[in-house]
Amino acid sequence: MSIRLEITDLKKVYAGNTPETDIDVFDGINFSVQQGQIFSIVGPSGCGKTTLLRLIAGLEEKTSGGILLDGKSLTGCDAQVGMVFQEYALFPWRKLVENIEVALEIKGMAAAVRRTMAMQYVRDFGLEGFENAFPKELSGGMKQRVAIARTLIANPQVVLMDEPFGSLDSQTRNVMQEFLLKIWEERKDTILFVTHNVDEAVYIGDRVAVLSPRPAGILKIFDVGLDRPRNRTGKEHNRIRSDILQLLNASAAVRPPS
Amino acid sequence: MLLLLAQLVVSPPTHFAGAAEPPIRMAVLQSDIHQLAFWVALEKGFFIKNGVSVEVAGIFKAGPEIMTAFSAGELDMAYVGEAPATTAVANKAASVVVVAQVNTEGSALVIAKDNTAIKSLADLKGKTVAIPGHSTVQDFLLRKALKNAGIDPAAVNIIVLKPPEMISALRTGQIDAFIAWEPHPSKAATMGVGQNLATSGGMWPGHPCCVLVTDKKFIAKHPEKVRAVVAAHVQATDYIRRNAEEAIAIGVKSTGMDEATVRKAMQNVHFTYELNVEGEKEYVRFLSELGLIRIENPDGFVDQFLQPKILREILHK
Amino acid sequence: MKGKRIIPPVLLVLVWQLLSATGVIPPFKLPSPVQVAAGLVDLIVTGMPPGHPLHLHVYYSLQRVLLGYALALATAVPLGLLMGWSRTVCSMIEPLVEIVRPIPPLAWIPLSILWFGIGIKSAAFIIFLGAFFPILLNTINGVRGIEPVLIEAARMLNAGRRFFFLNVLVPGAMPSILTGMRIGIGVGWMSLVAAEFTGVREGFGLGYMIMTARDIQRSDEIIAGMLVIGAIGLGIDACLQLAERHLIRWR
Repeated sequence: MSIRLEITDLKKVYAGNTPETDIDVFDGINFSVQQGQIFSIVGPSGCGKTTLLRLIAGLEEKTSGGILLDGKSLTGCDAQVGMVFQEYALFPWRKLVENIEVALEIKGMAAAVRRTMAMQYVRDFGLEGFENAFPKELSGGMKQRVAIARTLIANPQVVLMDEPFGSLDSQTRNVMQEFLLKIWEERKDTILFVTHNVDEAVYIGDRVAVLSPRPAGILKIFDVGLDRPRNRTGKEHNRIRSDILQLLNASAAVRPPS
Repeated sequence: MLLLLAQLVVSPPTHFAGAAEPPIRMAVLQSDIHQLAFWVALEKGFFIKNGVSVEVAGIFKAGPEIMTAFSAGELDMAYVGEAPATTAVANKAASVVVVAQVNTEGSALVIAKDNTAIKSLADLKGKTVAIPGHSTVQDFLLRKALKNAGIDPAAVNIIVLKPPEMISALRTGQIDAFIAWEPHPSKAATMGVGQNLATSGGMWPGHPCCVLVTDKKFIAKHPEKVRAVVAAHVQATDYIRRNAEEAIAIGVKSTGMDEATVRKAMQNVHFTYELNVEGEKEYVRFLSELGLIRIENPDGFVDQFLQPKILREILHK
Repeated sequence: MKGKRIIPPVLLVLVWQLLSATGVIPPFKLPSPVQVAAGLVDLIVTGMPPGHPLHLHVYYSLQRVLLGYALALATAVPLGLLMGWSRTVCSMIEPLVEIVRPIPPLAWIPLSILWFGIGIKSAAFIIFLGAFFPILLNTINGVRGIEPVLIEAARMLNAGRRFFFLNVLVPGAMPSILTGMRIGIGVGWMSLVAAEFTGVREGFGLGYMIMTARDIQRSDEIIAGMLVIGAIGLGIDACLQLAERHLIRWR
């Protein structure tokens, strides 16, 4: 399996008025993501997990370092990179199915063709019957499913997910995790999944990167290595979980989150 | 203090020359050279000499507003166009009577300075002519003059414009001619924009224009004050006729226009206080025919509306 | 219940009629509702000035409004979208806007007549001035009010400039644009009537009609005319509200 995404020595500094007031977000992050993998990222609040995603997405500019997609350097917002936002970010003036087909519309695909494709996603994602509803009529879980469909329909090489289930209650959250895994089983997208929920990170991810407080660096990358479907309450699962939590607590003591 | 109060009770307030009496609330039109007599009377102190004090209760942009002020009880007397006064009374909006004429004539039909195509009123056929309003004397003048020239007014495109806009409309060729009261025709001439095709006096000699009116309730309660104002008006009108240069100077001050315009305008205005009864009757008939007022007896209306009694008494003295 | 909304106006008219009939309000100060109704009939049948019936006045006034308003829409919305999106463009144009905006449209009448004459173009210009600024400012606000995350989502989906403009900026700003449009037509309509006061070449117009009635002190017709103008303004706004409800049904 090849390396889909490679991050080398990534640095991000928000310049202040004086060098002393500069904010170092990352002090040289390194990791790589295999093609078809789900790569979870956890860390304390404010450590810069979201910023990391935004740098890869091209929504913000890195200060230095390398972001390579299939060996080629990424600059700006690349069509190969898709993003699912925590706030769903659905276009409220578009019906559900119209939201899903946006990427195809932008590509210039004919209306009938893209509608057929979008409707397939509607069915696969369990949204049948709601295709003509506006986002305001949808529940949180449904909206996030639409957001994911909207991103996946464009078949991006890398899918960035920024705490996608953060706004949902824990019940819906679990349902959505199952949903995501089911979709992923069929498609095997390469996913970067940021979350502050350690349990979720372990349940979902093939590997879990643990970030330290700012300036963030990778403390450790855990290989989960458990077969799916996973047992949330299983011994192995719990062990990895508590290891990660210990790591996070320890790093918080040394350098309290700023 | 008690003595003062006693004096007030015993002797009527007129003994205190002017101080305790409320001044007469009068209105005039803004920048209207026709109403020069008012400003002359003020400047030369004719009102005071006749024993009354006068307050300029308002300087109005147009006649209808003066009539509305009468309805609201804000005015006692006013210098105003006979046209808006007539329509207001005929449509029962205000209740005033006319006690003296202020001027006759004093309007003109103006064409563009370089216009050689229009040489007479008959040439206005098919052209666009602006009037200041549908019920104005100027409207009547135009139709009367057209009919006299053998032209059906319907064959002329008569539109309504406010006088300030008439000069620029003429200059830019939007209209072929306009008819308005002085000083607008003179202003068009001094600006090099227009020339008189005919003066209103030429179209209808001695036609009524502005009048001095008083609220009916006011004259019933204070006939002596009305008399005083009419007397001052007569003196002022005579003064204008005898002292042209000084009158022009006062005209410049009161209208804010330049001397050349005022001089030219005044040559076209006939300042007089004699009431033109026939002229008013003709005008009332015109308004009735156009459906702008509805009165059964036009002549009877005029007999009520025009009250020359006080004027005659003053002139016979 | 929709019926409840007409109770206050009906009550007002009844009280007014009562006060007029008993002489508390003298007729020359304010005609009674019955007189105003008669005045309205006069305006429709005889016309003011006689021979100029009401429906023609309405027709010409609406024409002028349509022209001026269409011009305002066509210029203010694109400019507003541009200014809302680009800080650079906004800072260049804004000073000019802020200087011209406070000038009442009516103050432009003498210039307007000088530049455009005394026909429909001049009146349309006055209405344009009245309608332009509310539409512009609300459009700018509309763009600025679009949630930033929606902009980012569009970027991530690889939206080109054209798609972005038509499918993100316009619909995103639409609620504000519609607000601006409603305010704009209100101001425009009010400006028209006053603009017609100075005179119109065609000899028709609601402002012109009222001015003529005012010249001869027909206050019954003046008030009837005012009510007609108010009713038309209300009708126009109601139409816009309907359009608004459909266009922003996603809200």
